Amino acid sequence: MTPMQTLNRRAFLAASLAGVMLFGFGVAARAQTPEQATAFIEKAGKDLIGVVNGSESPAAKQAAMQQIVDRDVDVDAVARFCLGRFWRTATPEQQQQYLTLFHQVLLKSITGRLGAYQGATFVVGRSLQKENTVSVATVITSPGSPPTNVEWVVSFGSGSPKIVDVVAEGTSMRLTQRSDYASYLAQNNNSVPALMEAMRQQLARPS
Amino acid sequence: MGAVIRMLLLGAAGLMLTGLAGCATPPPADDPDAVADFNQTNDPLEPTNRTFYAINKGIDEVVLRPLAVAYKWAVPSYGRARIHNVLTNLNSPVILFNDMMQGHPRRSGDTLVRFVVNSTIGVAGIFDVAGDWGYPHHSADFGETLALWGVPPGPYLYLPILGPGDPRDSGGYIADIGLDPLTWVGFANSDSTLSDLQYARFGLTLLDVRSELLDTLDKATAQALDPYATVRSLYRQHRSAEIEAVRNDTRATPPDWVAAQAAH
Repeated sequence: MTPMQTLNRRAFLAASLAGVMLFGFGVAARAQTPEQATAFIEKAGKDLIGVVNGSESPAAKQAAMQQIVDRDVDVDAVARFCLGRFWRTATPEQQQQYLTLFHQVLLKSITGRLGAYQGATFVVGRSLQKENTVSVATVITSPGSPPTNVEWVVSFGSGSPKIVDVVAEGTSMRLTQRSDYASYLAQNNNSVPALMEAMRQQLARPS
Repeated sequence: MGAVIRMLLLGAAGLMLTGLAGCATPPPADDPDAVADFNQTNDPLEPTNRTFYAINKGIDEVVLRPLAVAYKWAVPSYGRARIHNVLTNLNSPVILFNDMMQGHPRRSGDTLVRFVVNSTIGVAGIFDVAGDWGYPHHSADFGETLALWGVPPGPYLYLPILGPGDPRDSGGYIADIGLDPLTWVGFANSDSTLSDLQYARFGLTLLDVRSELLDTLDKATAQALDPYATVRSLYRQHRSAEIEAVRNDTRATPPDWVAAQAAH
């Protein structure tokens, strides 16, 4: 089969699968509204900024951040997306290890940027319903820098709202991360263990 | 003179590209997923691009970054903001021509008002008076115009000095040099003061852009496993979003105060 035919067949299969899922969860999905997503982002943003501007020790802040991230971000879904087609080629054991590593790498990169958001304020704007996610637009103003447009993509797939992507000035975090991993894998013989070793080295580096 | 130097740089880049001509090897055809990925990445010149990326990184670390840090240290943020405004104002003719070619009367109007008001009341562009009056700044280049006309971007190119791009945007950059009236004023006069000013303008633009990107770019690439691929992805997404924003700019042509006056 030519690549195009394979793509078309896979696209058809994916579309029909998505159709079945939507039909099955259709009732639940329709019950989630853009307003719920907006309220969710407002709360999550307030919690986050509360931690950033709080007066606890860095260790306490990191623990509080971890709680917020685990509660409000669908880290497993993001991790699976970022590994792309290599998720299917990994063994269940590798998949578990990868998920754990991804959790840690994500948390490290978020806490590493906390200092930049001290004293920041955010304003929630319009929310847009797209297929099975809602995009909530916010404008984040940090002292000393121009306002930044950040979109939060909220998914209700697991029942409760969870963030699955952050789009800063048009650039999607999970798309960028997936490109990064895909390129690294392409240069390392498509070896998922090699990727995991690189992630461990990232974690070992001081932030 | 500045324009000639820029043309020579681009010409040299072109020659180096054909000379080095490192083409990426596509994955074997029996792995359709890998082939699909390769086609979607659309970076057939990847080895050459990576070489230029490494060269650029070297130049950046040794020359440009220290200069940008020194610029930030020596000139207070108020001064840097004024310089940024002057440079932006000098770009207005190019932005205006591109707005018109894109067929966006409201955006063209914004640019024209900004140019006239900031050059006069804003004292040669130092103060962004028009911005305070409700005419926001936007940039436009010929690569964007070509995109709006329906030209596809083409394969990814990483050029020395200029950084990430593709044939459409790099061609647009050359076209913008031609569209800029200050280029021709420098040519026609061959006055050494004017050409010196053009040099200064090019150098200041580099410093201005680099100093603004100092933190964001460093952070984005420091945490990446493959900084080259990260920059490629960021550039393409950002460019796409820019072009989409222009396409979706459907503000009415007359500004709001016209409708408000008509209502009286």
